[in-house]
This record gives sequence, C-alpha cells and structure tokens, in this order.
Amino acid sequence: MDISTIITLVIVGALAVWAVGIYNQLVALKNRYKNAFAQIEVQLKRRYDLIPNLVETAKGYLEHERETLESVTKARDAAASVLADAAMDPGNAAAIRNLASQEGVLQGALSRFNIAVEAYPDLKANQNMMQLSEELTSTENKIAFARQAFNDQVMTYNTYRQSFPQIVLAGAFGHHTDAELLEFADSEAIQEAPSVSF
Amino acid sequence: MDFFESQNKARKKTTLLLFLFTLAVLSLVALTNLLVFALINMQDTAGLATGRYHYSVEIFLMIGAGVISLIILASLFKLYSLKGGGRAVAEMLGGELLVDAGGDLNRKKLLNVVEEMAIASGTPVPPVYLIRESAINAFAAGYSPSDAVIGVTEGAMNNLTRDELQGVIAHEFSHIFNGDMRLNIRLIGVLYGILMLALIGRILLQSGAHRAGRRNNSGSIVAIAVGLLAIGYLGQFFGNLIKAAVSRQREYLADASAVQFTRNPASIANALKRIGGYREGTVLKHPESEEISHAFFCEAVSFSFAGLMATHPPLAKRIRRIEPGWQGDYLEGPLPAPDDNLEPATGAMGFAAADVSIDPEKTIDNIGNPDDGQVGYARKVIGALPPTLTEAARVPYSARSLVYLMILDQDKAVREQQIEHLRQAADLGVFEELEKLLRAEPEFQPGMRLPLLEMALPTLHQLSYEQYRLFLSNLDVLIRADGRIGLSEWAVRKLVTKHLGEVFEGRHSKVKFNRLSQVKAPAATLLSLLAYADRHADITPQKAFELGAVELDIDLQLVDKQSLGFTRLNDALDALAALHPLRKPKLLKACVRTVTADGVVSVLEQELLRMIADTLECPMPPVVT
Repeated sequence: MDISTIITLVIVGALAVWAVGIYNQLVALKNRYKNAFAQIEVQLKRRYDLIPNLVETAKGYLEHERETLESVTKARDAAASVLADAAMDPGNAAAIRNLASQEGVLQGALSRFNIAVEAYPDLKANQNMMQLSEELTSTENKIAFARQAFNDQVMTYNTYRQSFPQIVLAGAFGHHTDAELLEFADSEAIQEAPSVSF
Repeated sequence: MDFFESQNKARKKTTLLLFLFTLAVLSLVALTNLLVFALINMQDTAGLATGRYHYSVEIFLMIGAGVISLIILASLFKLYSLKGGGRAVAEMLGGELLVDAGGDLNRKKLLNVVEEMAIASGTPVPPVYLIRESAINAFAAGYSPSDAVIGVTEGAMNNLTRDELQGVIAHEFSHIFNGDMRLNIRLIGVLYGILMLALIGRILLQSGAHRAGRRNNSGSIVAIAVGLLAIGYLGQFFGNLIKAAVSRQREYLADASAVQFTRNPASIANALKRIGGYREGTVLKHPESEEISHAFFCEAVSFSFAGLMATHPPLAKRIRRIEPGWQGDYLEGPLPAPDDNLEPATGAMGFAAADVSIDPEKTIDNIGNPDDGQVGYARKVIGALPPTLTEAARVPYSARSLVYLMILDQDKAVREQQIEHLRQAADLGVFEELEKLLRAEPEFQPGMRLPLLEMALPTLHQLSYEQYRLFLSNLDVLIRADGRIGLSEWAVRKLVTKHLGEVFEGRHSKVKFNRLSQVKAPAATLLSLLAYADRHADITPQKAFELGAVELDIDLQLVDKQSLGFTRLNDALDALAALHPLRKPKLLKACVRTVTADGVVSVLEQELLRMIADTLECPMPPVVT
C-alpha cells in the first residue's frame, strides 16, 4: 500500500460524491418540471370543461353551423385524451408534441367557432355566452402563464443535462433525452413585459 | 410547549448533533486506519509475530485527512443541494405537488385540512406534496415556516378519516413550529457524509470485481472495497444512532402539541390505531426515504436493530401516552366514504367588525401554539371569503394580481398612480385580472387580507425563477409609485419578499444577535412604526412608544417619523428576525403593548401586528372574535 493508492482512493471518493450530486440534481430538476405540468393540466381541464357549455349555449343559435360545432366538440375530446397521456409523463417528448398539435387543432376549431358567432349579434349578447367567453379568456391567460413556467423549468433541466460534465453521466443515469417544450401555435396572450429598471 | 423555548432547544440539539457527528467521524478515521494497517501487515504475518509492523505517522495522517475531507465534502454538498428547503426534500422523494383537488374527494379533504390548520396558526399554507406509496406516513420539511412543505403518502390520504388526517397534519405542524425541521435538514446533510463511505465501497467493489483475475493487486482493491463497505455500514449505524438520539423524544412532544391544537385526543390516537391495524404499515419503498426517516410521522424504514435505532417511539407507547386507558385494539377495515364536503361554516362573519381587545400575555403564548378555538375560527374564515378571491389565490397567474391588489394604496391619488404603472409594466393579462379583482373589491374587507395572503403564498412558489424575478420587480414598481406607501401595503410586500426569498433564493435567517441591546436601533424603529400607526386621539405616539419600550428594559428613543423610510424599515425587520429566539417574546410583547396603548386594536392594527410577527418568524394565530 503506498501513497499513490491512497491518493487514488481519495480521488475516486471525491468523484463518487460529485457523481451522486449530479444524479440527484438531475432527478430534482426533472421532478420540478413534472410538477410544473400539473398547473397546465388543471387549467387545460378547466378549458375542456367550459367548452361543452359553450357549444350547448350556441347550439340554439347556430343551427346551420352544425359542422363548426361538431368539429369543436371532436377536437376538444381528442385534446382531453391526449392531455391524460401527457400528464402521465411530461418528460415524454412525443406525448407533449401530441398535446401541442391537438391543442392547435382545437384552437383552429375554436377560432372558426368565434368567427361564426360574430355573425349572430343575439348570441354574442347572450349573458351566458358572455360569461363563458370571459372565463375562457381568463383560462387562456392562465394556460399561457403555466406554460411559460413549465417551459422555464424544462429549459433549466435541458441546459443542465446538456452541459459538461453532466452530459457525460446523464445517459448512464437514465436521463437520455431533453424534455420537450410545450408550444401552442396561437401563443401570445401574454407578452413579455418590458424590463423595469429602477 | 412554549414556541420560543422549543426553538431554542432545537438549536441546542444541533450542537449535540455536531458533537456526536465529530465522534462518529473520528471513530471512522480510526477504523479506516485499522483496516489499512491490517491490509499492509497481513502479508507479513511472520513479522507481526515478532512485534514488527509497517506503518507510520504519515500514513495515519494521510488517511485521516482523506476520510475527513471526503465526509465533510459530501455533507457540505448535500446541505447545499437542500438549500431549496422543504421543496428540495419533497422532490428528493419524488413527491408530486398537489395544486388542485381535481374532483377527487380525498385530495380535497387533504388540501382543506392543511389550509385550515395553516390559517388557524397564522402561517402561510404549506404546499402539499403527494408521495405515491401505499404506506401510511407523512412528513414536514423546510428551514422555517416560510419554505415549509407537507408531504403525505397516498396511503395516508386514502385511508385516514378527516379527523385522523387532521391529527396527523397537526402533528406535522408542530414539527414546523418547534424548529424540528431545520434540525432535520441539517441531520440529512451531516449524516450523508458518513453514509458516503459505504457508497464508495460499493462502487469500488463493483469495479474491483470487474478486474478480478486480471492483475495481481486487484485482490487488494477488493479487500479495500469490502473494508470500506464494512466501515460505511458502521457509519450508517452511527448515523442512525445519532438520528435516534436527537429525534425520538420530539415525537412525543409533537403528539402532545397536536392534541392541544385539535383539542381532540381521539384524532391522533385513532390515526395511530389505524396505522397499527393497517397491513401495509408505514415503511416507504423509496430509497431516499432512509436519509430522511427521522422526519416522518412514523417509522419509515424497516431495519432498526432491535429498536435501538428507531427514530420513533413504538406505536403502542405513543397511543398509551395519549389514551392511558387503551386496551390494545387497533382500527381495521374499510373507511366510511370520504366525507369532505364538510362545507366550511358560512354565515355572518365580522371581518370589518369592531375593534378587539387583546391580552398581550395570551397573544404571545399563542404564538406557535394555536388551539382548537382557532381551528374552528379558521374554518369560518375560509368559508366567508369571497370565492372570486379564493380562486384567484390558488392559481399562480391570478395570485400575482391578488398581491398587487393588496399593495394598492388606500389613498386614491396614490392608487391611481400605481394602477397606471401596472398598466405599463405588468404582463397584459395581469392588468385585466386585476381589474376583475378590483370589481370584487367592495367585498374585500380588512381582516380578509391575511388569510388570502396565506393562501396565495404557496401558490406563488410555483412561479418559475424568471417569473418570480419579474413579479418582484413589479412589486417594487408599485411600492415606488409615489415614494409613499401605506403601512399595511408595505407589510404585505415585506411578507411576500421574505417568504419567496426563502424559497427562490435560499435565503434563510440565522441567529446573529443574542441580546436585545444589540438591536436597539431596529427595535426602536419597529416600535416607532407601530406607535405612529395607532390612530386614536387620546394617546400620543410618544406615549404608545414608551408603553412598549418599557417592556424591553433598554434605552430606546422614539424615531422621527420622517426618517422611517422603506430601507430602514426593511433592514430593521431583517435584523430583528435574526434575534435569538428567547429574546423574541419580549420584543413581541413590547409591540403588542404599543399597539394596545389606546385600549383597543382595530382590525387593521391586528393585521399589521400579525404580519410583522410572521416576518419575524413567529406566526401569530388570529384572535378569535
């Protein structure tokens, strides 16, 4: 037993400590973005719950726009089921991309719906309709905000995972890929505030 | 148990902990040296027989240095990773943040119980994390009430009645108030270093086994690895002894506090009985639960060496302490259907109500020591809050607007300016949300602010770091709108920045001042602040100030009103938060005396007092009217 062995041991030990630290940090950052997804899920579910009411209210007025209404309902159902998948594992890039694209379809259907509503001032003035629209807008804002938080956490995880030296160990620790950012096509209900200097 | 006493005790325990830890490290150094000695000399048994041995002081020192630096490195590393406080611990265990009940009655029951207990104790509602295990267990973690979180297993959430759950949560809250949590986190960090050796041994063993048969000295590497493993497990043994020494008695204490909190011994006794009859028990499967086994409600790991290293007293003993006549029968079988639509009692709630009179002694005693009167009161309060506002408090997006609303000044002119600033500076949607809340504002009475804030604060934990920075800068914009700001608006901001600062920046307060004489200027500032806040005509600020200063026994002068600026106020509160726990009661009593100088306390004054107490980390329960 000589000095070099002892020194080697100490170095190995320090490396082990450091590696364990990296492992724990990867786990913690992953959990953080997973938890951030929870808020998105809550608000999306809220939106999906509002939509059937919306369709019900509009049905009486939009008799000749049956297709528009149906496409909204269909898109909403599809999005709701894709949401369940994404919620099970927000780290799964495919599930997130699915959610984004289904949401895109729903947005498209909803905007066609809104255009249709524009042509019926009676419907627009309907109390129920106004209330639902207002709630929907508010929910949109909440979704955008929750998405921003989620994406921030995903960026933090991805940046950490990709940096040296973590990247060397990440694969071995089971963190093989980056997490996917959640981008909705019709993104900006929220704009970045100008930075305040004081 | 006295809140301040137990905080102090917990600090002393930390000293004990460090002492035991040092002993353990030294033992481990000695053992490692023994191991190396054996390895060096085992090839020369002949020499040993004649009394010759190979060794030297240098080797001894080097080994000692190596072992010590490894352990300390690992511990510092772990403590650093836990800087995020409670959240970091919950994430370590893979906890899932419960943001919403989502229609699940059991979740709703859990979230409601936690909310009630928090509002009853005058502390922000801790975020609730769900641990997906079928065992029944729960924990509280964090450095202070500001960054505390509560973790509950799925088994507990689904298998305990509302009352029993309340007992468990009350027990966890008393850990929060007794300063146990900070001690627990330190335990995790410190013990981690000792456990490191076992980990290294394991790694070496695996790499040594790989190389077996290839080189001659691979044998010695395996020997070293085995030796390290053995030492490592001994290290674990020491670690558990330490944990047991430090944490066991506190469990009885926490049980007792829970009984006082709920005034319902049956609640916690039944929870323990139900655990006794529960097949899946309390042991968690997650590998990291070992590190934090001491912070759970019940034994969380299975191996405890004939009870020597148990972190918790035996179940039966705990039950008997609460219910001396217990016959030994546990609770088994299915639960009655979840009953949480225990709608919070609504009805006339005097928020804007009359001034109250408060007893300084009782108020101080109540800190960290809420009782059942407060729980019932909290339930009423929650029920009477306007739903628009409670909904806003539970979503991060609108929680910000709610806080902005609370910072809007009462003075019309200042308020106009603030709203204008927000229109320019905040995210587009936030201003609309604020407008919506402003419309609900006639319902917003003083006395609602603090409970709403206590609900909004955990929601704001969910902001990303970038969102948090933007939120802070907007708060500052509001405060500086006119250079002037009302007192309670300032207090709201101070509270928010303190709590969020702990969570996002890891800024935890330490005790820096042991004597009141060291904080003369901050104390004078605080008392002056409260003296000027007193609006009644027949008491001058000077008189009110003196009534309070007399409690403190040090020479204080009323500060000139003009010199009470934000920076000075903020600095004063920060300094006072770093005061020794046993000195704080006097300080708070002085504050209460100043505020009650004119005989009555308006709702606004009471709120101000409670907000300040919270900033000083002394959660003051609401006064039951």
